Amino acid sequence: MSTTLITPVLTKGIGELNLREIAVYREQGGYEQLRRAVVELSPKDVADICNGSNLRGRGGAGFPTGRKWSFLPKDAKTRYMVCNCDEAEPGTFKDHMLLEETPHQIIEGILIGAYAIGCDHAYIYIRGEFKRGYEIMRDAVQQARDAGFLGENIFGSGKKLEFTIHRGAGAYICGEETGLLNSLEGKRGEPRLKPPFPAIKGLYGEPTVVNNVETLAYLPYIMRNGPEWFAKVGPERSPGYKVVSISGHVVKPGNYEVPLGTTIRQLIYDCAGGLRPGRTFMGVQPGGGSSACLFEEHLDVSYDFDSVTKAGSMLGSGAMVVFDDTTDFVKAAYTLIRFFSHESCGQCTPCREGGHWIQKTLERILAGGGVDSDVDVIKSAAHQLTGLNLCALGDSIEPFLASVITRYEDQFRAYIKRTPAPAVGAAS
Amino acid sequence: MSTQTDAAGVHSAAIPGSAAGDGLAGWSPFAQRPGDPFDTLYAQLLPEIGRIIAQYEEKRSGLIPLAHLFQEHEGYVSPNAVAAIAYHVGETLAAVESTISFYTLLFRKPVGKYVIQICRNLSCMLNGADEIMAYARQGLGIAHLETTADGLISYEEVECLAACDRAPCAQVNLEFVYDLTRESVDAMLAAIRAGTYEIKPLVQTAKPGRTWKVEPDTGRKSAGALNQSNPNNAGGIGDTSGVQMFDLIVGKVQYESRSNERLVRETQLRPEISGNGHH
Repeated sequence: MSTTLITPVLTKGIGELNLREIAVYREQGGYEQLRRAVVELSPKDVADICNGSNLRGRGGAGFPTGRKWSFLPKDAKTRYMVCNCDEAEPGTFKDHMLLEETPHQIIEGILIGAYAIGCDHAYIYIRGEFKRGYEIMRDAVQQARDAGFLGENIFGSGKKLEFTIHRGAGAYICGEETGLLNSLEGKRGEPRLKPPFPAIKGLYGEPTVVNNVETLAYLPYIMRNGPEWFAKVGPERSPGYKVVSISGHVVKPGNYEVPLGTTIRQLIYDCAGGLRPGRTFMGVQPGGGSSACLFEEHLDVSYDFDSVTKAGSMLGSGAMVVFDDTTDFVKAAYTLIRFFSHESCGQCTPCREGGHWIQKTLERILAGGGVDSDVDVIKSAAHQLTGLNLCALGDSIEPFLASVITRYEDQFRAYIKRTPAPAVGAAS
Repeated sequence: MSTQTDAAGVHSAAIPGSAAGDGLAGWSPFAQRPGDPFDTLYAQLLPEIGRIIAQYEEKRSGLIPLAHLFQEHEGYVSPNAVAAIAYHVGETLAAVESTISFYTLLFRKPVGKYVIQICRNLSCMLNGADEIMAYARQGLGIAHLETTADGLISYEEVECLAACDRAPCAQVNLEFVYDLTRESVDAMLAAIRAGTYEIKPLVQTAKPGRTWKVEPDTGRKSAGALNQSNPNNAGGIGDTSGVQMFDLIVGKVQYESRSNERLVRETQLRPEISGNGHH
């Protein structure tokens, strides 16, 4: 098995060093880039470095980070940096690991980002379920504060950088940036109507940047090694490294940090050890629960933002769920539809009612009460509720469902004819 | 917010006793009740409440952290806690209820000393979560969203916990438990029942009922959404605690907000508006 693909940057030292301790992190060069930014560079210099790296957001949408920062109004007096650690996309577990294992590189990344956008109060929003991660982050922030890396007069520069950890309370939708901001303001995590985008009107009505944990954590390394180091890895428009969470029917599920541009086949077979013995590949969801399923013909697709989109899915949060021939795709689709229906905030009718309605229909099919027209009705309903919602949650209902119902229609038909397909559920 | 004098005056006039039998105690910062457990707790938490709110540039941001704080000490977010939070973040009770009811980890009803939450999402399902969940339900003798009769264990099937590499996974009192098998479920339940489990129990200040969350399809979220997950009933069908609490506390604290006064009036005239969503 080849391991040359795996290139630890953010994941370096995990499992070997106790990077929760600030002294250990500093021995690895930690906080040196924050010091350099604050003491030696102007915010614009730091933003230029980020721009030069072509870093794209690692949270799901893949938006260029430097460009996101550039939308902030130049004359704004108050700006906020908010780090999104509300990881809840099905199949994604990279931020969970980074938070628990390497809190200091996250803090350093957030503070570098905050400095670059001219913000003096940064927030991190941590998913409510990550109680342990929250405690680890709290201790790490205290260590950083004691060391003088955040708070008043950081590095003796006279500059102030405040930092607040906010713990959520269980809601997938708070991973959506405006839902997150509402939640951070003490409200229901309901996404806002856009525009105005957070860059214009975000937290407390002020210009705000919301960046994913992994995105910000790359900043210290981009600063240390130079933007070209990152920009020259992988495809030009989608460069750099990515922590990919691989789970489902693979021998070695886990987080693998690889250069973008690695193929899906390499990720599944070289990194995650391939399928269990005697099993055949049936599909892979390449970018979390919101992404369409890809199949055998896509195995050699380059794993980067643009190529996966071109193949008809999306890289999303970088979570691959692999399906072998024991997969019941009706149940798999039902599981994800139930998730979206459960997590819908309820503001937009198509998402709220549509998701629930499809869930009920799939439930009926699974219970043996399906009728022939159900397949078309589900497809049509999923398609019609797409594009009509305030945020991407509603639009996430269709992709996986449509892709598997088209490819494995026979499995759905088998339930409808009350002759369940041979593959029922997972091996146990 | 009302002034202290006003509120105190109204309070003492409107509330003859202290705690109502249904647990809707009607807390107020202006009328302490010596010996009352909540007031004792409140006095003890006051410095921490101040620290939490000071972390934010607007005090409403302290709402969820304060709910976590009270839940940590009471096992759930009690009506008293809702009133205390409303006071400290400067919002109405309705605003606090509305926010708290949105989040699945904030419990508006008492739960067991152990809350077992098994992941039912895709990666776990592919690795046998359905069978593990069925086995756990059988071992517990309860269903999804129920608490055992002895008040020890609450059980829920939850969405992706971000531990898909160790599927099937679960959280017990928000601590991760990985690679579940029938054997590990047996061992976990036995240890919890024997009082020897490595994960500590939650604080429990009130006995939980059989169900601790709204049943699927019986409550509704805002704008009429099907409420399948919310831990509390405020706004859900069949639960009048919101109305009762409103009536109790409305008598004590006068709000400046006009829209709130209107809501109060309407609540008194038409009690169902606060208790029902659609249908």
